[in-house]
Amino acid sequence: MLDILYIEDNVDEADIFKRVISRLPAPPSYKIIVSGTEAIDYLLQQGTYQGQSVPMPRLVLVDLNLPGQSGFEVIQQVRANSRTRYMSMVVYSTSDSPKDMRRVFDLGANAYLIKPGSYHEVSDMLRRAIEFWLTQNQYMP
Amino acid sequence: MQPTVDLTNCDREPIQWPGYIQSHGYLLALDPTTLTIWQASENCQELTGIPTEALIGQPLHTLTLHHVPGQELVDLLTVALRQDDPAAFNPYRLKLKNQHWYVVIHLHDDALILELEPPADAVNITDADAPLLSKALPVQVLLAQTMTDIQRSSSLADLLEKTAHKVKELTGYDRVMIYRFGDDWHGEVVAEARESFLEPFLHMHYPASDIPRQARELYKVNLVRIIVDTYKPRVPIYPVQYADRGRPLDLTHAGLRAVSPIHIEYLQNMGVRSSMSLSLIYRGELWGLISCHHYATARLVDYPTRASVKLISQLLSTALEIRKDDEDEAFAQTLHQREQHIHQQMLADWDVAQGLTRHPLTALGLNTATGGALLFENQLIRLGQAPEEADIYSLIEWLKTTSPDVVFQTDQLPNLFTPAERYRALASGVLMIVLSREMNEYLLWFKPEQKQTQYWGGNPEKPVVRDEAGSERLSPRKSFDKWEQLVRNRSDPWRQVEVATALKLRENILQLVTQKANQIRALNEQLRLAYEELEAFSYTISHDLRTPLSSIKSYTEIYLEDYGDTMPTDARATFDKITRASDRMAMLIRNVMQYSRMSRTDLTMEPLAVKPLITQLWDELRAGENGRDLTIQLGDTPQINGDQTMVAQVFGNLLSNAVKYSRQVPRARIQVNGTETDQEVVYAITDNGIGIDMKQAGKVFELFQRLDSAVNYEGYGVGLAIVKRIMSRHRGKVWFESSPMHSTTFFVAFPKTTQSAQTDLSADMPKPITS
Repeated sequence: MLDILYIEDNVDEADIFKRVISRLPAPPSYKIIVSGTEAIDYLLQQGTYQGQSVPMPRLVLVDLNLPGQSGFEVIQQVRANSRTRYMSMVVYSTSDSPKDMRRVFDLGANAYLIKPGSYHEVSDMLRRAIEFWLTQNQYMP
Repeated sequence: MQPTVDLTNCDREPIQWPGYIQSHGYLLALDPTTLTIWQASENCQELTGIPTEALIGQPLHTLTLHHVPGQELVDLLTVALRQDDPAAFNPYRLKLKNQHWYVVIHLHDDALILELEPPADAVNITDADAPLLSKALPVQVLLAQTMTDIQRSSSLADLLEKTAHKVKELTGYDRVMIYRFGDDWHGEVVAEARESFLEPFLHMHYPASDIPRQARELYKVNLVRIIVDTYKPRVPIYPVQYADRGRPLDLTHAGLRAVSPIHIEYLQNMGVRSSMSLSLIYRGELWGLISCHHYATARLVDYPTRASVKLISQLLSTALEIRKDDEDEAFAQTLHQREQHIHQQMLADWDVAQGLTRHPLTALGLNTATGGALLFENQLIRLGQAPEEADIYSLIEWLKTTSPDVVFQTDQLPNLFTPAERYRALASGVLMIVLSREMNEYLLWFKPEQKQTQYWGGNPEKPVVRDEAGSERLSPRKSFDKWEQLVRNRSDPWRQVEVATALKLRENILQLVTQKANQIRALNEQLRLAYEELEAFSYTISHDLRTPLSSIKSYTEIYLEDYGDTMPTDARATFDKITRASDRMAMLIRNVMQYSRMSRTDLTMEPLAVKPLITQLWDELRAGENGRDLTIQLGDTPQINGDQTMVAQVFGNLLSNAVKYSRQVPRARIQVNGTETDQEVVYAITDNGIGIDMKQAGKVFELFQRLDSAVNYEGYGVGLAIVKRIMSRHRGKVWFESSPMHSTTFFVAFPKTTQSAQTDLSADMPKPITS
């Protein structure tokens, strides 16, 4: 059972994420993967994850600017696989470029969150996102 | 109806078969195989004692010529005919009446033509003083002397002068002239040797009709013609018609050929008793003549002397060719070097007009012109002695319609284009090259008028004279009085090499123009790439800067959250400063990204309603200004054409500036009003705030520039730069008016056409030159 898969290469961001989660009244379970390539392998159970029975997340938070395969490629690959086609994919990026937004929605992302510039804002945004995607959203895997 | 008589009648006279010979010799036309007599000059009776008509059909050997048996002639001819060219060994000699006669034979018109010529002594009155050099000097000596003369002559005029004297010396004529033909075949005496009692004819001009066309044609084939005595009647050839040709025998190459009675009359009118003329041929065309006159007495120049003089005329012809080529070569060489030099200048300057006109060596150095004009890139540059600008423009207009070619030349412009008479002193000759008809670019050279007085040997308008019977027989002119004519509207002619050089220059110019256009195109492309790269760079940098910045901010907040309660007050204040600095940096980065995105995003042009846009922006702005006396007055709000997001940014920036810079005013009043013309919609946004010192007006729209008056207001100098960028991408305008501490109005003008800058760069970059 896995609530959140967070794909993020920046350790600070990951650090802040962990802190926000830990302060929640009922912290969800999460896994952090630092590269797009590994995330694809994990979600599609291929490469190093071949044959392993890894838990599928209820929500994927994905940064766009990643080493190796980018966030765009992660979304594209996940959407192309029948087992993960309907997985909740939420982009979590500093980019406020309309072009980036249009592109991820074209690829099939469910939502686009712009990373705020401060801890308090980040904290607020993540609380609400988790509340929505994990509590209120009815996801059928 | 009478046929029209004009000067061309002379051109139709069949001078090559006159049917007569001159009276000083005898002529027989023989069957070349049987040596039977076909025709004979009627004076042969003097030789044979038999009536001429009785000779016809007789074999040559049956005759007796002054006791010389015909067989002797037959033997001579038999030997001669064994040669490939029997004329090559002319003259043969035959002793008649104790004198050596010259036998001259040639094959022509299918006949063997035999001419008997007396020695010179038989005709000429021996003048004790006249040295008969021809007798004394062998041909080799003569040739050597002439060659020396040719080599020593420093100029063509000198060479002609020497040749004239040499010929006079050899032949003993009273006057020897060298006559040169012009383009219109009128002639000018260019060298002369004469007896001192004669009036000089040097530099006299003679009309083209003096030497008719068919005479000139004959002169190209038969290089030496002699007329021994204009007062002696000519002798008919019997019978008149030659064989079954239905015409007289062709005497083109016969030395005894009688000339046209018109020509005899012409010579008599001039007082000439004897004459000789030799052809000067330059490149297969008749260049001129050596013309010899004898006045008081008849004069016979015998065959060997004629051969020598002919040789001299041929040597002179060759020398003309060599010397003319030399002169042309040296001149062409100079022009070529200068043309190269000018080409280098144009390349070094990378500028056509400058390379052609702004150096010690200009386009004027490329020929013998004294003035020039370059019309290039809508600029007229005059060089040297050139007509007025207005005259040049109207001349170019005329030239454009006159010639479809890329080059035009004339040496008599005023005769073709009457308005040019006013400036003929500067431009009677014009050479023009077309650089581009489309761009109206031309290069012209001018030569001044060569006002000349030409002296004609008689009125050049040769009159038609009716003879006594009233028929319109053409009569040669009778008057040779000096006739003055002022020649106007003409310049020196343009030489072939000058025209060729001009065309080469044209190629160079066109090549440079093309290269320049290509270079600018390439530069444009480079600039575009560099610009794009810079945009991408600034976007990436700003983006990447944001991540560590948010980490700083976040950890500061986390620290405060964890330890804030126990922090000393001054540590807390320091932390606040870190937070504020990070906030400012975040704002700055956001602005830079926004600005750079302005250039990267495509425009979506659509008609926009302005009123709701402003109302919404105003509501947002007001929300942050609680407690101020701040009102907006909205006037007309005509629709505009633009990109919704960008237009919102324009108004957002202008309104927020208006709000911001009126903060110190107790009652801030902001007005927005739109006006519409046929071309554009202009919005004015006015506030009653601190205003802008016009001394700093230049900085207002520059990126990151902030004015002194704005020091106390937060901002990064990006807002108005974004406005300017957006307006230029809309092909619109932005400007302002301000009086400090009173009011400021910013104007934005949106063009009404839907056309906009579809590429990011066109508004900021120089326009490419397309040709």
